Amino acid sequence: MIDNFDRRDFLKVLGWGGAAVALSGCGNTSVEDGREIVTSYSEPAEYVIPSIGVYFNSTCAQCDAGCSIMGRVREGRVLKLEGNPDSSINRGKTCGLGQAGVQAHYNPDRIREPLLRSGDKGEAITWDKALELINSKLAGVKGEEVAFLTGGTSGHINVLLKNYLAALGSSNHYAYDAVSPSVVRAANKKAYGVEMPRLRLDKAKVVLSFGADFLGAWVSPVHFSQQYAQFRKGTRPEGRGVLVQVESKMTLTGANADRWLAIRPGTEGILALGLIHALGAAGMKIPGGIAQDYSLERVSKDTGISAEQITKLAALLKERTPSLVIAGSAAEGYAHGTQNAAAIALLNQVLGNVGKTVQFPAVVPFPQVLPTVGNRYALQALNDEMAQGKVKVLFNYGANPVYSAPAAMKLKENLGKVPFKVAFAHYMDETALQADLVLPLDSALEDWATSVPEYMAEEAQINIQQPLMEKLYPGTRGMGDILLALLKQRRADEYKGYEDFYSYLHSAVLQNKVALGGTGKDDDAFWTATLSKGLLKLPCDAGKISDKITPTAIALPAPFAADDAYPLQLIPAVSASLRDGRHANLPWLQESPDPLTTIVWDSWVEIHPKTAARLGIVEGDIVEVTAKNGSIKAQAYLFPGIHPDAVSVPLGNGHEAMGRYAKGVGVNVFNILDAVFDKGTGELAMHETRVKVSKTGKRVVIVKDEGSAGGQQMGRKIAARVTSDKVDLSGEV
Amino acid sequence: MSVTNLLENWSQFRHKHPVGDQPHEEYKWAMSIDLDACTGCNACSVACYAENNLPVVGKEKYSHGFAHHWIRVERYWDADGRDFPDQGAQFLPMMCQQCEAAPCETVCPVGATNHTADGLNSQVYNRCIGSRYCEANCPYKVRYFNWYDYPTTDNVWPEPMNQQLNPDVTVRGKGVMEKCTFCVQRLTAAKSNARTEGRTVRDGEVQTACQQACPTNAISFGNLVDPEAMVGKQWMQQQVQLDKDKQAKDAEEAASKLRGYRILEELRAYPSVMYLERVRESAI
Repeated sequence: MIDNFDRRDFLKVLGWGGAAVALSGCGNTSVEDGREIVTSYSEPAEYVIPSIGVYFNSTCAQCDAGCSIMGRVREGRVLKLEGNPDSSINRGKTCGLGQAGVQAHYNPDRIREPLLRSGDKGEAITWDKALELINSKLAGVKGEEVAFLTGGTSGHINVLLKNYLAALGSSNHYAYDAVSPSVVRAANKKAYGVEMPRLRLDKAKVVLSFGADFLGAWVSPVHFSQQYAQFRKGTRPEGRGVLVQVESKMTLTGANADRWLAIRPGTEGILALGLIHALGAAGMKIPGGIAQDYSLERVSKDTGISAEQITKLAALLKERTPSLVIAGSAAEGYAHGTQNAAAIALLNQVLGNVGKTVQFPAVVPFPQVLPTVGNRYALQALNDEMAQGKVKVLFNYGANPVYSAPAAMKLKENLGKVPFKVAFAHYMDETALQADLVLPLDSALEDWATSVPEYMAEEAQINIQQPLMEKLYPGTRGMGDILLALLKQRRADEYKGYEDFYSYLHSAVLQNKVALGGTGKDDDAFWTATLSKGLLKLPCDAGKISDKITPTAIALPAPFAADDAYPLQLIPAVSASLRDGRHANLPWLQESPDPLTTIVWDSWVEIHPKTAARLGIVEGDIVEVTAKNGSIKAQAYLFPGIHPDAVSVPLGNGHEAMGRYAKGVGVNVFNILDAVFDKGTGELAMHETRVKVSKTGKRVVIVKDEGSAGGQQMGRKIAARVTSDKVDLSGEV
Repeated sequence: MSVTNLLENWSQFRHKHPVGDQPHEEYKWAMSIDLDACTGCNACSVACYAENNLPVVGKEKYSHGFAHHWIRVERYWDADGRDFPDQGAQFLPMMCQQCEAAPCETVCPVGATNHTADGLNSQVYNRCIGSRYCEANCPYKVRYFNWYDYPTTDNVWPEPMNQQLNPDVTVRGKGVMEKCTFCVQRLTAAKSNARTEGRTVRDGEVQTACQQACPTNAISFGNLVDPEAMVGKQWMQQQVQLDKDKQAKDAEEAASKLRGYRILEELRAYPSVMYLERVRESAI
C-alpha cells in the first residue's frame, strides 16, 4: 500500500493534468480488511472537492473517429463520459458506443496480468519476464520474419510502433480493419486526389447516399450527426436539406431518409451512371459522352428502381445545388466495388459538387503521427505470409482476426504456423486465446496516447488521451509504455532518457511546442493547457481539391443473374454499437435495442415479408443461412426495409470467447463470407456472399423492444410526420 | 379522500400546477424533442443508463418486459401496405412526460409519486410499496418496476462495474417503481449553485444526460418560466401551451403550418414534453 505522503507527491507530478486521483476511496482495496487507508478530506488536493464531480478532457477510443470527451471524475473514480464542446469533430456530443467507454474500463472480464501459454492454460508471469521472453524469442529471427498486426493506429503509438519495427529490421506493419471504407478511400483518391475529403452536409441542399451509414457506423458518425442536424434546419439559408438513400438493406441513415430506395444488390454504380444519363436528358451538360449507354429503361430494369423515381431524383439533383453524393460500404462491398465507387464519384463531379460540398480535408502536417488506417487487404497479405511459414514472431495489438476473418481464409490454421505470437489485449478474445504470450493493456481511460483521426472537420487536431483515474489493476500496462520498454531493448541510447511513455509524450509535445501553437509560452504552462484542453488544434493551409472530371473507363458488370442453388444475397450489417465485434462484451450495448429491429442480446436474419411468405417463414423461425463456406442458424425477423433478393445478418455477435456478456450470444456471420475480392483494391468484398435460407423447424419468441403491434401506431398520433409543403420551418426557433 | 370527492373536484386535483392563478414560480422544467433531427441512434438511452444507474437485466428478463430503459427509442413503420418503407422509419424517444396532471399520481396509495413545485413528477423510492398502480395507469408506459434486487443479481454490476455507479443517484432495490426524473440530481445541483449565487438557473446551465449526449441536438430542455430559455421559445413559437388540451395545431391542422404537439393530448395529462413532427420532403 502506498502511504499517504508519497501518494500526494505522485499527485503533484501528474495530478494537474489528467490523473485525477483522489486521495482515498479508489475502491480497489477494502477498508474493512485494513488494506486501504481512509484519508480525511479536510485537506484534499486542490482540484478535489469531495462529492463534486470534476471533468477532465481526453479522447474517446471506442472507434477511430477521435471524438474528444470529458470524463466526470468523483472521489477518484470516473463515472461518466460527455463530449468535449471544443472539438470540431463532435462538438460536445457522444454516441452510445462512446457512452459505453466506461464499461470497457470497468469491465469485469479484462485481463489483469501477463499470461504465458502453458498447454491449454495461461500461466501468470511478471512483466520483466514477459518482456525478456520477447527479447529472447526475437534473437536469431530475421527482421522480415517479424510482423505487427494492429487495427488503425495513429499518433505517438504509431511512431513508437514503426520505430520498434525499424529497430527489428522489419517493415511488416499490417493495419487491419474488418469494416473500413477502404475501397471508397481508393476511389476518392483517384477522383479527388484525397482519400477522405471533407464532406459538407451542412452546405448541401440534397444528400444522395449510396449505402453510406454516416449516422450509424460510417467513418465519423457523431460528426456527421452534427452536420445532419444543421442540414435539416429549415432556418438555414439553403433551406431544409433532402436526404435520399439508395441501398439494399435499410441502415439507420436510410431510416432517416426523405426517400429510401431499395436497389438490387450491386447495381449502385449503374444507378449513378443512370442518373448522369438522366441529368443529360434533362438538359444538363455532360462532358464527353459519359454514361451514354445507361438509358432510363435499362437502368430501371437493372436496378429495380422505377423510371419515374429516377427521373424525379435527377430533377431534384439538377434543381437543388449544391448537392452531395456519398458512396458507402453497401456500394463498395462487391467485386466491382471500385467501379461502383468511381461511378458515384463521377456523379459528384458531374453535379459540380467537388470544391463545394466535397472539400479538401484538414491535414496534420506531421507525417509520423498521421493515422495508419486499417483495411481488409492487410489481413489477407499477412495470412498469405503466415501460410507460407514466413512469419516467426507475430505481435497483435487491437485486432481480433480469428473472430472476424472468413473461415475460408483458414486464418486460425495459419496462425498455428507462427512459432511465437504475442497479443496485447484487453480481453481474452478469440485471437488472444491463440497467442503464446498475452500482455494485458490499460483501458483507454487509464492510458496515455495521442491520436490523429482520419476524418477531421474544419481544423486539424491532435487528440490527447490521458488517464482519468488510477489504474484498476497493477498488472496492466499502457501500449506506449510497452512499446517504449521494447524499444529500450533495441535502442537503449535513443530512448533511455524517457522513464515512461508519459515523459516521452511530455518531451515530444514540448520539443515541438512552436509548431503546436505554443510560441512564447512557458513549457509547463503550455503542457498544462494542452492536457486541460485534451487536444491540440493546428493551423493548416487548406489544400485544393481536384475538381477536374476524370471520366475513367468504368466497367460495370450486369446485375447478378439468378442462382438457383444460392438465390439470395447476404448483407452483413455493421451495427453502430457492436461494429466489428470488439464491443460485444459491453452490456449496455447488448441491451441497447438495434434501432431498426429493436432486437437485443442476439443475432437475427432480416428477410423481406414477401420473400418470407414465399419460403413459408414467420417471425421467430430459426432459419439456416447456408453459404458455400458454411452456415449459421438464427432467428428470422420480417423486415420491410430490405430488398426481396437479399437477407441481412448483423455483425458483431457470435463470440466463442471474450467475456461473460459476449460469449455465446448470437452467431458470427463473418465466418461464412465468401472469399471474393474487389478487383481494384484486393479488399474482401463484404457483400458478395450468396446464400440460401431454409427453415429448421424450430421457432423462438424474439426478444425485442417492439410491442405486439409490430411497430404500428394503430391510428393514434404518437410519432407524427408532416410533409414539407404543409409546414413553415422558416420561423422556427 | 373519498372517490365522490375526487370525482366531483377532479379538475381541482388535476390542475394543481398549470392553471393561470397558480403559475409556477421559479422553475417549470420542460422539454422539446425535434423528431426531424432525431435519428433514432439510441445514444440518449445509453447515456441514461450511465447517468442513472439503470440495471442491465439480460435477455431472459428483457423478454418478460423487465427492461429498465427510462428513455427508449420507439420505432414505427407506416401502415399503408406498400412493399417498402420508402420514407424511412419513424423514431420516437419516449420517456416520462412529467405530466402536470399525471395519471400515475392520483392512483398511488401511498403518495410515493407526486408533483414537485418545479413541475416534476417525482418518485420517492423509500415511500414506494410496489403496488404498480402507477405503472398500470401511465398512458406512456414509461414506469419501470424492480422485480429483482439488481444490486445483488449476478452480472448486473459485478466488481468492478459497481464503481461506475453514480453516487448522486440512488441504486434501487427490489419492489420499487422507477422512471425518468429529468435528471433531478443535475437539476438539484444546478439550483443549489444558483441559489448560492443569488440567482436562478440560467438557460443551458443544466442539461439532462440524454440531451447532453444527443448527437443531433434533437432534445431541448430548460425552464419554461425563464423567458430566455430555448425550450420556452420553442413552445411559444409552436403555440403549444402547457395548461391547454387543445393546441393551435389541433384547431386548424392544415392551416397552422406548425409541427409542435404533445402525445395523447386528448387524455388531458398535460405533459411537459413537446414533440416536433418529423418532416418529409414533398418533392421527392
